Amino acid sequence: MKKRSKFYIFTVLMCTISLLVGCGNSEGNNNKSSNGNTNTESELTCAVVSDINDINPHLYLGSMAAQGMVFESLVKNTKDGIKPSLAESWEISKDNKVYTFHLRKGVKFQDGQPFNAEAVKLNIDAIQRNKERNSWLKLSTKIVSCDVVDEYTVRLVISEPYYPTLNDLSLTRPYVFISPKCFIKGETKNGVSNYYGTGPYILDKHVANKYAIFKANKNYWKGVPKIKKITFKVIPSGETTLQSLSKQEVNFIFTDASGTDSIDVDAMNNLVDSGKYKIVRSNPMNTKMLVTNTTNKASPISETAVREAIWYSIDRQTICKDILKGTETVANTLFSSNVNYAKVGLKEKKYDLKKASKILEQAGWKFRNGSKIRNKNGKELKIQCYYNDSSLSEKSEAEFIQNSLKEVGIDMKISGEESASLIDRSSSGNYDLLFDQTWGLAYDPQSTIESFESKAGYYYATSGISDVNGFYKKIDEVMVSSDEKTRKALYKDILTTLHNEAVFIPISNGRLTVVAPSNLNGISFKQTQYELPFELMSFKK
Amino acid sequence: MKKYILKRLFMVIPLFFVISFSTFFLINLSPLDPAEVVLQARGTPEITNKLIAQTKEELGMNKPLMIRYYNWLIGCLHLDFGNSYVGGQKVWAKIGPAFLNTFKLTAASLVVIIVFSLLLGIICALNADKVVDKSVRGVSFFLTSMPSYLVASILISVFSIKLDLLPTSGMDSWKSYILPVIVTAISCVGIYFRNVRSSMLNNINENYVLYERACGLSENKVTMHILRNSLQVVVVIFCMDIPVILGGTVVVENVFAWPGIGRLCVQSILNRDLPVIQAYVVIISVAFILFNTLADIINAVMNPKLMEDI
Repeated sequence: MKKRSKFYIFTVLMCTISLLVGCGNSEGNNNKSSNGNTNTESELTCAVVSDINDINPHLYLGSMAAQGMVFESLVKNTKDGIKPSLAESWEISKDNKVYTFHLRKGVKFQDGQPFNAEAVKLNIDAIQRNKERNSWLKLSTKIVSCDVVDEYTVRLVISEPYYPTLNDLSLTRPYVFISPKCFIKGETKNGVSNYYGTGPYILDKHVANKYAIFKANKNYWKGVPKIKKITFKVIPSGETTLQSLSKQEVNFIFTDASGTDSIDVDAMNNLVDSGKYKIVRSNPMNTKMLVTNTTNKASPISETAVREAIWYSIDRQTICKDILKGTETVANTLFSSNVNYAKVGLKEKKYDLKKASKILEQAGWKFRNGSKIRNKNGKELKIQCYYNDSSLSEKSEAEFIQNSLKEVGIDMKISGEESASLIDRSSSGNYDLLFDQTWGLAYDPQSTIESFESKAGYYYATSGISDVNGFYKKIDEVMVSSDEKTRKALYKDILTTLHNEAVFIPISNGRLTVVAPSNLNGISFKQTQYELPFELMSFKK
Repeated sequence: MKKYILKRLFMVIPLFFVISFSTFFLINLSPLDPAEVVLQARGTPEITNKLIAQTKEELGMNKPLMIRYYNWLIGCLHLDFGNSYVGGQKVWAKIGPAFLNTFKLTAASLVVIIVFSLLLGIICALNADKVVDKSVRGVSFFLTSMPSYLVASILISVFSIKLDLLPTSGMDSWKSYILPVIVTAISCVGIYFRNVRSSMLNNINENYVLYERACGLSENKVTMHILRNSLQVVVVIFCMDIPVILGGTVVVENVFAWPGIGRLCVQSILNRDLPVIQAYVVIISVAFILFNTLADIINAVMNPKLMEDI
């Protein structure tokens, strides 16, 4: 009897384990061909580091790459300026306060609901009711009303002229449109019931932390996308991503230019050598830089001379060639020349250790008592720099810069932290130097510059410079300027001040890298490092 | 027997209170303002004082600590750990599926661990200090000392890429289990079979073995008796290790893209998703308590003398 009961327990245990292990066998298999590999001829399986999360386009949690595939805005930002998207055309009133949009006719949301003026109003009103959360985008603080003129015409009224209005409306979030049927109790700020936009892809299936499957929208107003199915597969480790690529379990990756570069460059090149893949790189998308803290008067970093000496001590050529292996280009100014209004002819401050030493000498920072660190009034030239420890390159860059600074007598301590902690430091001013990057072409220069006065933005970086009030006033003026000539002049002033005060020390221009099957055509880029236009891609026949 | 089991289970209750209390208070001791953390976790680009006040009100953070603890505790007993800061969904909806995935991996690994530990332990004990014993110990020492991410990478490149037999990552079919289970098992088997071996060697020299042999019992029967007596220590270690494996699969989960609780916890730490972290600590602690109690009960069943101590 005793033996029998033991046997039963054993059998039940084994059955439970096999059942548990067996559960979910069919899940995720549907994106594989019979040999377990991705069907490379018609679909893309893209490895992503983290889950797409809640892609409610009026909030900020979801993956922007996924949001960009499902939802669309009234206008789009292209390298040739603002172009029509869901709005076919628009007029701006003489006082620059009323924008009238003529909507594209015949567009439907993915759930079959019509896209019309009423839907636009419902969406914009829902976004405006969540004003606090959207206040980082200045447009949200200026919208007075959104009125339906007729079925395909809407009027957006703003409180004062604001030149980046169309830019702000073109961003991936929040001013994009979700079917009003997805609203919960007329709101989107507390969640939505479904994710139906007007975009080229429909979110077909999502298993958190495993995968998300997007299917082509058969009713897409620009025509059905050629790639019928795109799977975002979550693979957190860069090493595993590479192995999955070589086994073709995934066949597409793109690195956002935000410093989360978890894929080794040499390994990527090996994949290309195998003939299965190709690498496509975008134009400069943003600028990677060291943000200084000009406000902390107790630290030497608040002195312009020290910041300038650091600027001259960085060998950007070597960083781009040896550390970034040629994937990024040298940056000598805060914004690269393909950013609007950024071509203002600023003086290039090239790598020059002698000049750096001279600047420090003139500012009174001298070697005293045989010390290898400069000092002034008994205070040593010591600064603290923080970098994102999940970035492969930032640590090497920080160590390289630390070594250069040592040669000119600056003792820079470096420390790697996770991104949430870096955000804390930035918004509380608890740092000397911080690795960061500009927000990208869609946001530069206007959104980046607007964030100078905000503590969540670059307040501690900018508020210590001379005549800071005049500087902030110019920023306010440029945003409401209606005359192109005045705006250019104001931007020139602003960018020159930033350059001369060495507030942001540029290092390299980040680019978006795509590894894709070698027979994939039509890989292009948007004006942002966070999304890709998958709808333009197709396989060579 | 029943009395013993009830007593052991009764002792779990105060322990649970101590754990839940310390988890809640330690997380509340952190210098971060929870409302600010919520807003950051939600990806709010600009955090204003008004937003912070609004969030505090919304999440009931204005209430005194003890009341918040009480509410949270009552929730925990119903498996309601509150709402995640990231995404706003129920913590259980997030942690439940991830826990199940890790549990599946742990259960499969455990079978492999038990089978191989016993098998190798017995073989080595019966052949103590012979070539078989020395080589098994040597190889296992080598494998155990290798970090799991390295073992995982080697296995992936050999079995997935070179031989094309198994998937590199994911959780798609039974094949996906093979490599993660091997990696999880390797580090444990190397330790446990030594426990089985040494425990058996201790027993081999006991008088009862001599007596049994003198009585003319078959060698198989004698071995079974030795094994049974040696298992007491091993059962405790096995049971205590189930939660260790549950909570320690994070490296394996990361390398094999396994959507388990370890990965969720690391993500939650990075996102400062405090309710998920709290729930994780509570669940893993409860697992420790329960499996420890289970080990005690199994031991008591095997050796009724132990029941007298309580």
